[in-house]
Amino acid sequence: MEQRTNGMTRREMLKAAGAAAAAVPLAGADVLAAVAATAAATHFFTPAQLAMVDELSEIIIPADDHSGGARAAKVAAYIDYRLAESVDDEPRTKWTEGLARIDALSREKKGAPFMQLSADDRVAIVTAMAAEESSPTTVEGKFFGELKDRTSDAYYSSKIGLHDDLEYKGNVLQEEYSGTDVSNS
Amino acid sequence: MRLLHTQQAHEPQVDLLKTYDAVIVGSGAAGGMAAYALTERGLDVLLIEAGKKIDTTQVLHSMEWPYDHPRRGDMPSKFHALSRNEYNIRQPPYANGLGKYEKVFSYVQGWGGSDYSTSIVVNEKEHPYTGTNYAWVRARCLGGKTNIWGRLALRLSDYDFKGKSHDGYGMDWPISYADIEPYYDKVDLLLGISGVKENLPQLPDGKFQRPYKLNAAEVQLRTGLKKMGRTATPYRAGVTTDGLVHNKYRSKCYGRGACSRHVGGCDIHAAFDSPTGLIYPARDTGKLTIRTNATAHEVQVDPATGKAKGVGFVDTVTGKSYSVKGRTVILAASTLESARLMLLSKSSSHPNGIGNSTSGLVGHHFCEHLMGPHVTGLVKDLVGKPHTLDDGRPGGFYVPRFRNLTDKQPDFIRGYGFEGEGGMSMGPGNGAGEAGFGKAWKQHVRDYAGAYISMGGFGEVLPRYENSVSIDPVVKDKWGIPVLRFDYNFGENEKKMAEDMAVAGREMFEAAGIEVVSVGKNLLTQGWSIHELGTARMGSDPKTSVLNQYQQSHDVKNLFVVDGSSHVNASCQNPTWTIMALAWRSCEHLADALGRGEL
Repeated sequence: MEQRTNGMTRREMLKAAGAAAAAVPLAGADVLAAVAATAAATHFFTPAQLAMVDELSEIIIPADDHSGGARAAKVAAYIDYRLAESVDDEPRTKWTEGLARIDALSREKKGAPFMQLSADDRVAIVTAMAAEESSPTTVEGKFFGELKDRTSDAYYSSKIGLHDDLEYKGNVLQEEYSGTDVSNS
Repeated sequence: MRLLHTQQAHEPQVDLLKTYDAVIVGSGAAGGMAAYALTERGLDVLLIEAGKKIDTTQVLHSMEWPYDHPRRGDMPSKFHALSRNEYNIRQPPYANGLGKYEKVFSYVQGWGGSDYSTSIVVNEKEHPYTGTNYAWVRARCLGGKTNIWGRLALRLSDYDFKGKSHDGYGMDWPISYADIEPYYDKVDLLLGISGVKENLPQLPDGKFQRPYKLNAAEVQLRTGLKKMGRTATPYRAGVTTDGLVHNKYRSKCYGRGACSRHVGGCDIHAAFDSPTGLIYPARDTGKLTIRTNATAHEVQVDPATGKAKGVGFVDTVTGKSYSVKGRTVILAASTLESARLMLLSKSSSHPNGIGNSTSGLVGHHFCEHLMGPHVTGLVKDLVGKPHTLDDGRPGGFYVPRFRNLTDKQPDFIRGYGFEGEGGMSMGPGNGAGEAGFGKAWKQHVRDYAGAYISMGGFGEVLPRYENSVSIDPVVKDKWGIPVLRFDYNFGENEKKMAEDMAVAGREMFEAAGIEVVSVGKNLLTQGWSIHELGTARMGSDPKTSVLNQYQQSHDVKNLFVVDGSSHVNASCQNPTWTIMALAWRSCEHLADALGRGEL
């Protein structure tokens, strides 16, 4: 099995990086600019941030006996894409600041940045963030809501979320409609 | 499987020198029906539509999975949908100050699958309006809002047509249910409607095709309501569930369910839309000419007779001006756009706008359906049960009006109905709102996903003279046409009714053994129901009404207004089916009168 880094396999990361590089020799400055623009529009997180979001999303929705989790559903890459293409800076700022706050919180509570903590300590950090979920006031408390919303949206609209986890049965052609006919009741 | 035949016939071009029997402005439910009914009678008809022709068979992607779309069905970020909060904290024109977005849309584009409907709804930047808060949803394209409508196809009853006789408020319609019943039947048979017969005097049954079914949560509600003498009937949908042998453009419904997941629309046209249901069949008679990208700005008048002689429009793309001529002019541009056109059509014969001389009521008695109060409940027996296919339908259920029928409420008159649905849909539903994270939370979401049921009210807003639209003296749209200014608010009756909705919603869920999870009490912004009505009401007295019972102007006998403008009160039932039944009836009268040389 291929070793995972940053939630993407190493091969996927190389592929993503290589896609831009491969296009360069074909033309001049215009293509370079276009590639740069495309790259800017599809990725926002640094590799370190992407790895952190991947880990956080998997803590929110982990793999279990029933189905894969947020990591398998590539939730972090989807969040990255949506943030990158946003015309608003505000959601990006929210994530940059939120992730920085998690690292600060990790240092305060556990003495090291989030990704250097043990699995149990990472969960403990997220547990602390979630403590005031119903009416958050702190930066980390508010960011927990954002993290959970985006993770949930991305996961439950993914193949793994819809089919494996929720076992959604619809979006099919039916001759006879499902349910109970109440014409005579 | 062959679902559709989409090959289209040669289309004639508009002839600017010709005088058509009728020029119709607008191609939604009303304009489409006018085109159908008049060409069926052999009249030579020109239909003009401000928007473009859209191939919804291609754009709607009804069965595309969210994960097969780069943004899971959402619009690109450069497009902005107005949020509920923006309607509260901003004033029209709502696009002002939102320059960073390429396009600004109404709130419906904030729903799932909005990327499929961006070509259907209007860009608020090009279509401003002013005045009081109003969430005005518009679709400028062939077929208008029927391309994305909610499909609930209900009849009105004499509780609505004779409301004043029942409770003393407002004005009775100049027709009764018996006058319109044959046309409801004709609409049912022509377009297809799905439903269960309930024998309710306030919600007459139709010529139904096979009904949709209820899922377990909804059956529980139906059983509980029956004990209260109330009804939860399967969604009465303007959808052909058995197919239509006389219409080659429309497939029967295969219960795919995307119509309730996306902003709307049906790419196999099982759900009624005006192009495939009415306009293409009308075109196939050889009697219909369609001019799209034609933004009407004036009904033109023969100064010698004061009668309408045609319509002035600008080409939506080039901005060039044109005039087309008709023996009759039929406005079907929507309740608000038809009123705007009448008010814009000032001439020496009609200095207050065409059709507005005797009564001065064009734009007044503007009414609609209030929305907001809703209830969500949990059916505990369903928690942890295997998920069933619950959402392959255009909607769940409808609870018809039960207030002020045989009873008399102390605080408000008229009534409301509820629309709702229960069971599993394409997503986690309310379960994802639970606090927490991790394995336990994930298990909770899965266990609770199909166990919720919710419903929201649609209530009659009274037709009051002071609720009105007029022409803004300053602001113009992209084409230089003066825009509408709103002066519209909810009154005490609406506020009391909304309070009762929240209470009654809770009571009904509790009576059905459904655990109430949340009750919403707040009214949504005016306009949210997209059921605007009443700006040119019908009546028998030219001093107190704009149109007669055939939607014919009292003042200008060859001018007809066949859309929701003509409705005397909003009732609480969704208006599309009534709009089409009335338009059909009026157009038969028009054809007869034209044949007799009376127009």
